[in-house]
Amino acid sequence: MIGKRVRFETKHATEFVDITDRLRAEVRQAGMQMGRLYLQSLHTTLGLAVNENEPLLLRDFEGLLNRLAPANAGYEHDDFARRFDIAIDEPINGHAHCRQLLLTGFATLLVEDGELVLGRWQSVFAVELDGPRRRELAIQLDGDFSKANGARGHERDLVELELSRQLLVDPEPVSDPMRRLVEAGGKRLRPKLVQLAAGIGPRREPLRAAALAAAVELLHNATLVHDDYVDESTHRRGRPTVAAAEGPERAIAVGDYYFAKATRLIAEIGNRDVTSTIAEALEAICASQIDDVALRGAFPGDHDSYLRVVRGKTAALFAAACASGALLSEATPEIVEALRRYGDLVGIAFQMADDLVDFSPSSGKPVGLDIRQRVLSLPLIYAAEDRIVGPEVRRLLAGALGDAEVGRVTELVTSSDALQRVRGEAQALVDAAVHELETVELDGLRPTLISLAHSAVDRIS
Amino acid sequence: MSVQLIDRELDRLEGLWEDGLSDMYRSYQEAVGSHDPASQAKLALAAALVEIGVRLQGLGGRAASPPTLLMGDLCLARSSRLLADAAPQTVQVAFAQAIEDMSAAAASGAAGPDTRELLLRALTAS
Repeated sequence: MIGKRVRFETKHATEFVDITDRLRAEVRQAGMQMGRLYLQSLHTTLGLAVNENEPLLLRDFEGLLNRLAPANAGYEHDDFARRFDIAIDEPINGHAHCRQLLLTGFATLLVEDGELVLGRWQSVFAVELDGPRRRELAIQLDGDFSKANGARGHERDLVELELSRQLLVDPEPVSDPMRRLVEAGGKRLRPKLVQLAAGIGPRREPLRAAALAAAVELLHNATLVHDDYVDESTHRRGRPTVAAAEGPERAIAVGDYYFAKATRLIAEIGNRDVTSTIAEALEAICASQIDDVALRGAFPGDHDSYLRVVRGKTAALFAAACASGALLSEATPEIVEALRRYGDLVGIAFQMADDLVDFSPSSGKPVGLDIRQRVLSLPLIYAAEDRIVGPEVRRLLAGALGDAEVGRVTELVTSSDALQRVRGEAQALVDAAVHELETVELDGLRPTLISLAHSAVDRIS
Repeated sequence: MSVQLIDRELDRLEGLWEDGLSDMYRSYQEAVGSHDPASQAKLALAAALVEIGVRLQGLGGRAASPPTLLMGDLCLARSSRLLADAAPQTVQVAFAQAIEDMSAAAASGAAGPDTRELLLRALTAS
């Protein structure tokens, strides 16, 4: 059990302070893998809330609090003539106490695989009701801090430090949007794969591995910045996309900057095989993006096209992360190739699991977003092929997709066996990935790689 | 030799050759003279792909449409792979820094450095 205090200052009378990133940092710093984070306000006019960080919505919340407990509504607490032991600086704040009663003063957040468990749109807020003031929250972390996990936690810290270090030296117009994206979370699967694979061969250098892992994560995020413009996505990881917040011109520049910076950092590591491996993956990603957009004309496409696109768009960087880490550690060619195949299979399974999330109301992501954006999705492909629901799915997808159509398509997909088929296929890919690991000596890392492969699809079980 | 290489490396980008890429390629040929002859065509093509790639994307100007942006992205990615195949580390780093300079200027709204000048300098980085 670890106990700590989180301190901050507020600037306004009512203010929603997003503390999600600070809590994430506390979890990572503690190296906790599985457990609970207990959070408690130490003030009677500071509440807690878990909700969406969307500026207009926050104004709605503030408006609601104002209506339910208006200031100057004649609170007995503010009648100092009738009270005893009043502090000299006692404020008139009956409304703030009443508003706090409408919120909560404590919260429990779950931690799994070293990360806070939050839905896509969820952020954690400390809600100032009587600011500006200095504030303090108590947190306790209770769970699994096992030694092995702790060591991996330290390695993950190295990546986070390297990401922070790199962002710190970049010009603000590019670093600010990228920092918001990087700090908003993400599973960090690709850097994890780099670091794990970099521990397999005889040359083990955690700092070089962390540099490569951070560069791969920056590269991944750079592709996301451009993707979001192409897909007209407004939010990612619960926050406005760079294109939505700052316009497409800035998004293109930010994506280009970090594409270039990541390739430079990788080149500076000085291992030509690593550089080529990542460069080939990047080329595959870009080619697949073009195919992906082209296929939207024949939405929802077919299984072969889906695999071709996903193999490039998602799996290529998973495979390259595994292979480049192994190359960095000077692992044997057999190990490098086995890990490359493992990464490819896990990457495809990961994408299939991601497709299924679009049909899960409990995911935190709006159901049907992929349908609305006409994103390639295996459940849709299977539903469109289905003997019973297929004709209606195809007819709906061929037309304009408003709320009613998206809702109906979701119903049809859910009522068919499409989700089950995709779930089974993803699981089979994980099994195949695990099988790849059986042919080579991995110096004790096999269980971790197996666990990571399963975690890629666990969110759909 | 270089004709075969260019044919191979223009997969999905064929239309760009007649649309300015060939002129750009020729303008970099002289600057690659000091490199290994086997690498020269790849390096000149890598520079030309960066120049046409950022132009397609609209970097520093009006944003390209999504399909055109993706074409620009592929140009940059292919350039990166050509450099990984053929360029010394110093040239790889100089190319990346050139794109960093251009995109940082674009993001800040400042006038960008001259693309060709930056890339010619990158090709002779030591």
